[in-house]
Parts: sequence; structure tokens; C-alpha cells
Amino acid sequence: MDKTQLRRALQIAAALIVVVLVIGLYKAKTDAAKTEAHVRQLQAEISETESDLRALRADIAAQESPGRIEAMARDRLGLVVGGESAALPEATMDRNLPPPQSPAQP
Amino acid sequence: MRPFGAARVFAPDRGIAEPASEAAPARNRVRFLALGIFAVLMLLGARAIQLALSGDPLALPRAAAIASIPRADIIDRNGVLLATTVRAYALTATPSRVWNAEETADALRNLFPELDRATVVRRLSDASRQLVFLRRALTPEQREQVLALGLAGIGFEAESQRVYPQGVLAAHVLGFTDVDLNPLSGVERGLDEEIRAAGEAGRAVRLSLDVRMQYALETELDVAARAAGASGGAAILLDGRSGEVFALASWPRFDPNDAGQASENQRRDRVAGDVHELGSTIKPFTVAMALEEELTASGEVFDLTRPFDIDGSLIEDHEPISGLVGLREILARSSNIGAARLALRLGGARQRGYLERLGLLSPARLQLGHNQAPIAPAARGRRDVAALGFGYGLAATPAALAGAYTVFANQGARISPTLTPRAPGDVIERTPVFSAEVARRLVLYLRAAVVDGTGREAEVPGLAIAGKTGTAEKLGAETYDESRNFSSFAGVFPANDPRYVIVLALDDTGAGEAGGAVAAPAVARTLRRIAPMLGLNVTPRARE
Repeated sequence: MDKTQLRRALQIAAALIVVVLVIGLYKAKTDAAKTEAHVRQLQAEISETESDLRALRADIAAQESPGRIEAMARDRLGLVVGGESAALPEATMDRNLPPPQSPAQP
Repeated sequence: MRPFGAARVFAPDRGIAEPASEAAPARNRVRFLALGIFAVLMLLGARAIQLALSGDPLALPRAAAIASIPRADIIDRNGVLLATTVRAYALTATPSRVWNAEETADALRNLFPELDRATVVRRLSDASRQLVFLRRALTPEQREQVLALGLAGIGFEAESQRVYPQGVLAAHVLGFTDVDLNPLSGVERGLDEEIRAAGEAGRAVRLSLDVRMQYALETELDVAARAAGASGGAAILLDGRSGEVFALASWPRFDPNDAGQASENQRRDRVAGDVHELGSTIKPFTVAMALEEELTASGEVFDLTRPFDIDGSLIEDHEPISGLVGLREILARSSNIGAARLALRLGGARQRGYLERLGLLSPARLQLGHNQAPIAPAARGRRDVAALGFGYGLAATPAALAGAYTVFANQGARISPTLTPRAPGDVIERTPVFSAEVARRLVLYLRAAVVDGTGREAEVPGLAIAGKTGTAEKLGAETYDESRNFSSFAGVFPANDPRYVIVLALDDTGAGEAGGAVAAPAVARTLRRIAPMLGLNVTPRARE
């Protein structure tokens, strides 16, 4: 193969590479656009989910608010908020205990 | 026979070959083309390498898009959610596509009875407008209900809505926004820039509040205010050494989720937004000023049996004190005469200097939408100086009073209350006011006021609170009205190592409902609930 043929072959090869690159670029851009659209869709879904999560967190916070817990403890369990007059120190407990029973005779 | 030879075989090519002078430009073109292709290939290769090394170019904007919200969540010091932003929808209509305005309005009013039929019909019939808004802040469930109606021309615009999951709890601290998320009060307004910036960055704004303590304080303030028939109430609990506010309550309360339905009176923040003549809770400072300036000594005794005549005005004690008494009794028994005498020794200029350093002559610096400036006219004579000594002639906020009481927890230095938590290593601004010795002595006197003085009802066994009651008559049309009081209690605890400050005040209480009778018991009830949260022990009392 002489120089001219070699040059021509190179030109054809280069032209082919350019064509392949152009086609590749077009495909890459098309794929990128599709990916971007997919990413945008995912972002929207994530944003939607995050928004749902925020609403759920708010709901949890409302369910766990001290006022609601106290009301439920009072209404369902009969509990009341402790005051010092309701508590008994250890030293005074014996006064409130029933008198000791005499041991049973065998 | 013609001879065969390479030269002859290729002779025709040679024959059509261009002369050297014409072939050169063609070769150059080929070279330029090759160079161009090479350059393009190099560029593509470089870009490929750059992309390979720089990671996913979509990752960054995606992260920002996920987390960004218009206003950040607000959480308490333990991470409990106080305010958040959720998705909502605006109910809209395209009038040109609405088939029957009356029927559409009726269908919508079945779901939203508060809609005015005539207004809705008018908007739906306004063909000159492309889009009209019918209602804001629809929940996703309400949107589904509207969609189920299948109404032509009805649509939605996505928007954000501010939600306060704790309801009325800490409402005055948090404040609220309008439907477009513009802040109107509370930290929503006071920390607006930070909340917006945090929202963009996808993080929350943390407050120093503790929801548990906030609930206890609000509940007890509510009970006390109702029992006393007060028109308003305010309470604040803070760490006197860091200035961090744990709880801050105003009464009456409101729900920030429905702030529009609350009255102006309910929405008013009374801790940093209302000023009152504070009464006897100022007396400890008068005694401290006199001790600091060495105008008296702890051993000095006073004869307070007779009313004190100042330029024709008589100053009397609510309950006359007979015999000779010292500084301890002046505070424990809340003597106006004793405080007035000490104030006169001090003089107006020095007194004002101390009040300035105590932060009582300037607005508090809480991160709320509004901090009311005090009403503090300069004393015009001896009578004004004496009155300032026992808490009249100066109207300040309960928040400013709580800030002033931090001197008893900081060896005489004042620290401004704050709603943002301190980080370890934060530099805390301290304003020296009194010496450590004077502050320590005053805590002893304040403890005496609780043990055997006017503040007995504030006593919590095992906790050792030190504090002072205040009962300031409210100014009527011309004179002070004995039947209307501003009743309060301000104190520090535990007295053996003061750290926490509490102020509780009830506005417009009736005659005889002094601070010691209505505010002090509420403080005791609050502290019994809150002390365990602060790691402090309360000794239970035997059931009677």
C-alpha cells in the first residue's frame, strides 16, 4: 500500500470515526435527556415522599404531645399528675401499712 | 514485448498527479482536517476524563432539590418537632372551563361550608380571568375529595403550609406565619432569616425550649390564672448561667394552626411584649445596690414602725413592722419603707446606673418578633427615687426581670435570656452588676423570704427556692387602684447553688390576691413537676 492509499484509508477511517462519534454524541445526548427526565421524576417522587414524611412526623409529634399523653393517661389509665402531697416518703410508709399480724400458731 | 516495470505500471497515476505547486494546498487541507479531527477527539477524550473524575454531575443539584423547603422545621432542645412545613394545595378554577358556576359552587360548599356562595359563583363566572383562587391551604385529603367530585374547570396549585403539631403549646414562643409563609410573630419572625436559610440547607432550627417543662409551666400558669381571675399571665424559666430559656408561657393561650380565629388578647406575648410596674420583686436589687455601695451593712437595723414621709407623701408597709429589723426582714417582710430609705441613700443617678446594668431600662433580647421597651422615665425627685426602690415608676417585661435575676446565679453578673441553645465553648456575654459576696448575701435574704416571709407558698421541700413576691397596684384613671394588682414571684433555685431562674406573674388579680397568695403557689406547683427534669430532688411530704 503506497502513501496515497494509506492516506485515503486514513481519511476514510477518520470520516468513519467522525460519523460514529456524531452518532454516539447524538445517542449520548438522547440518553442524557432521558436520564435527566428520569432524575427529575425521581426528584419529584422523593420530594413528594419527603413531604409525606414531614406530614407524618408532624402527626407523630402531635400524637406524642405532653397534653395528649397526659389526657390519655388520665382518661384511660386513671393516672393523675403527681404532687408532693400524693407521694409518701419511705419513713412514713409504715404509718399507712396495716398493723403487723401475729404469726400463725402451728 | 513491452517491458514491465513499476515505473510504467504506475505511470498513469503519475500522469494525472498534480504538479507539486498544486498538490501542496490539498495536502494542507488534509492535514488541517486531520488536525481538526484530532483536536475534536482530544476534546472528547478530555471531557470524558473530566466526567470520570468529577463524579455524578447530577448528584449535587438533586441533593439540594430534595432537602430544600421554604421554612425549616423548628425543634426543641431534645429534637421534639415544634413547627414544620407540609405540602398543601390552593383550590383554583379556570372560569372559561366551568360548566355551571352555581352547581360547582354548591358542590364545593358541601366540602367547605365556610366558602361564601356568592363570592365563589362570582369568581367562577369571571370569564375575564384565566385563573381564580377559591381557597388556600387544602390538605392532600381535601384535594382528593375535590378531585372525586369531578368538577370541570377546577384545579389545584401546589403550595406549602406551616403546621404546629404541639397545638397551643409554646404558641407565643413559636408565633405563626400567614398563608404565604410570611412570619408574623414569635421566633417565626425573630429568627426569620435563620429559618429560611436552614430551610434551604435542609436542616432544622433548634430552640433552647424543653417541651416537657413548657407544658408543665403552661399548665400551672393556666390553673393559676383561672383561679385568680387574672386577665393575663406570664411565666419564664431559664438557666441563669447560660441564659437559655427552657420554658416561656403567656396566658391566655391560642392555637397557631388557627391563629386567625384567636383574639388579639390571646395572641399577645406577655413575657417580652407587655410591660408592668413590677412591684416588690425589684426590692432585692435596691438592697443589693445599697450593700454594693456600702451605704448599709448586713448588721444595720432599721426602725420601720412609722410611715415614711417624703416631701408630704407617706410611704407605708402593707403590714406594719414593729421593732428594729435588719435587711433580711426588709426583704422577707417586703418593707416599702425600708426599700425607700435605702433607695434615697443611693440617689437617683447611681440607682439608674444599676437598673441600666440589670437590663431593666432596655428591651429584652429574646429572639421573638417583638421585645417591648420599658417605660422608665428619669426620677424627678426624692419621691420617684424612693418609689423606684420598691418597684414603682418603672415598667418592664417579665423577661427583663428574669434576666435581672440571673445576677443571683452568676455571682453578681447578668446574662441576657436567649431562645437559642448554647454550644459548648460559646462565649457568654456577662454584665457585672454586683460583687459575688453581695449576690451570695442576697440569695440568703431571698431564701428567708420563702422560709418565713411573704413567699412561703413557693416553698418546695427539698428544693430550697429563694425568691421574692411582688404585688403592684395597677394604675387607674388617675391613681393606683387597690383592687387591681399585678401579682408576681421571681426567684432562683436551688438556693445552695443557684442556677435556675423562674418568674411567674398574673395580671389584673383582685384585691388581696398578692403575689405570695396567687403566684408563689403556682411557682411551687410548677417546680414540683419540673425539678426532676432538671435532675433536682424534691422531698415528698407525708399525706395529711
